[in-house]
Amino acid sequence: MNSFSGHITGIRTHDALALVTVRVDPHTFEAIVIDDPETSAYLRTNSPVQVQFKETEVIITTAKAPVVSLRNRIEGHISAIEKGRLLSRLTIQTAIGNLVSIISTDAAVELGLEKNSPVTAMVKLNEIILAP
Amino acid sequence: MIDIRIRKNLQSAQGRMDLHLDMSLAAGQFVTLFGASGAGKTSTLRMLCGLMTPDAGHITTTQKTWFDHRRHINLPPQQRNIGYVSQDYALFPNMTVRKNLEFALDKKQSGTIVDELIDIVELGELQYRKPGMLSGGQQQRVALARALVRKPDLLLLDEPLSALDREMREKLQQYILDVHRKYQLTTLLISHDVGEIMKLSDRLYEIQDGRIVREGTPADIFGLGKSSARFRFTGEVTGVQKADIVYIVTLRIGHDQVKIIADPSEAADLQPGDKVAVASKAFNPVIRKI
Amino acid sequence: MEWGPVILTLQLAAVTTAILFVLAIPLAYWLSQTRSRIKPFAEALVSMPLVLPPTVLGFYMLLAFSPNNAFGEWLDDRFGIRLVFSFSGLVLASVLYSLPFMVHPIQSGLSALPQALSEAAYVLGKSRRTTLFRVLLPNIRPAMLTGIVLTFAHTIGEFGVVLMIGGNIPGKTRVASIAVYDEVEALRYMAAHGYSLVLLGISFGTLLIVYLVNGGYLKRFSP
Repeated sequence: MNSFSGHITGIRTHDALALVTVRVDPHTFEAIVIDDPETSAYLRTNSPVQVQFKETEVIITTAKAPVVSLRNRIEGHISAIEKGRLLSRLTIQTAIGNLVSIISTDAAVELGLEKNSPVTAMVKLNEIILAP
Repeated sequence: MIDIRIRKNLQSAQGRMDLHLDMSLAAGQFVTLFGASGAGKTSTLRMLCGLMTPDAGHITTTQKTWFDHRRHINLPPQQRNIGYVSQDYALFPNMTVRKNLEFALDKKQSGTIVDELIDIVELGELQYRKPGMLSGGQQQRVALARALVRKPDLLLLDEPLSALDREMREKLQQYILDVHRKYQLTTLLISHDVGEIMKLSDRLYEIQDGRIVREGTPADIFGLGKSSARFRFTGEVTGVQKADIVYIVTLRIGHDQVKIIADPSEAADLQPGDKVAVASKAFNPVIRKI
Repeated sequence: MEWGPVILTLQLAAVTTAILFVLAIPLAYWLSQTRSRIKPFAEALVSMPLVLPPTVLGFYMLLAFSPNNAFGEWLDDRFGIRLVFSFSGLVLASVLYSLPFMVHPIQSGLSALPQALSEAAYVLGKSRRTTLFRVLLPNIRPAMLTGIVLTFAHTIGEFGVVLMIGGNIPGKTRVASIAVYDEVEALRYMAAHGYSLVLLGISFGTLLIVYLVNGGYLKRFSP
């Protein structure tokens, strides 16, 4: 699991949902959760929080600014690549630290991913877990 | 409120052990003692009952002092008003289910509580049978009901469900929770089962070699408790298998076997038998009526 | 053959068994519970009649209770009790002599019960006494039956101690086992047969009841 420490900078609630913005310098993450500030004490602006997401949920692109719906984008370059028969594990060095992505080996080949390739890692906002 | 501060030198199979506990149980709380066997959990319950005498310390309740080494107070079990369900249930073989419960009545107490309890634990049809004719789960219900007849200030449960199969366990956990709430008991449970603890306890003390090593709410201690991951379970690892560059971890959660993909960094310290918490965002699961 | 000695024998056995049953329960309970240092001494004393020649016991009782002796004289003066050559003397001797046959089975029965049973009763607020009578004893019925029958049968089979303390007074202390000896001495073999067969029948019958009821339970306690 990828895990980064940050603090909450914004909360927008509607019904039982909350869209939370978390600053992990110099990036900003967005997460949607079934929690609201009344039920969860940690949901306060400036509260420290962990941003967590599973390796297999990290999408990789080599395009600079792809036109897709993904809200969380972190730029970096590949510091290690371990190619399996079906799956490949990429370690990506970013401004917030190393993160790991597991994608299909076919995709890694098609994208021409190698060590030191510049990439952008992306995560859907509903895949982000927040933990105090 | 029960304030416990006890020391006891115990002879165990592993050698000598110095039990040193300092804990307090708030009225109405459901507290679990958790830890490896031989950590001193059963001895703690026996000292609370008055069946074993601590070497030093005190046990005080809001109303009474049960034990105080310095003041030479040591109330016998009869005067502590405790409900105790031991691991072997200790039902009286010569008495029927009903007589087992009636035996527990105080002299002045009305017998209506017996009917009420038989009703709650659903033993009506078995009430005229002797314990020898009952299954493990039925015996456990009798032991639980008997322990409640005197409306104890403190209910002590020593791994009451460990000998039962999973289905029976889950049913009995519900009985325990129901009576705990109905009679506003203060309950102290010994359990190894993380799922059971998560379901029943308000507070958890983990004991290791006679000392409390951790205390807190079960969710705090077993992790993931405060996270926003809403789809969470506790289970037991039954297998860890490498698949390509990832690992497939097989888990038993309740009745079900499930498989989870784990990164090598996560799988590294997992082995069969480990208790784990698994969580996912509520957004991931798909749902379909069956 | 007369029925007097047989009836006397049965009376003696019944009275002895009843007295011993009442005495043995607290004694066996104490032995099963105590961690006292005197426990081995108490157990040795209780078991003595198993190995002691009955004549030794009879001899000392004869000495102790003889009116020519200070203790026997005091008993006679103070209470008008003469234990020598009387039925009460026989009962006392039998009680002492059969003590282990009642105490051992009950003690073993109590010791074999899980401690958790009495602990459960204590935690339910019950006294030791209540626990003994309502929980422990009802769960050792086979052991109690064994004690009762063994004591009864053993008392029927007494000879030495009865002869020493009771003498051989017809209608008073002449029990069946002594009658057999008497008849043989007088070469009246037919009468001896009569008493012997009755004793044989009673002993076999009582033991058979135990085995039938307990299903072999008795074996553990038979000397």
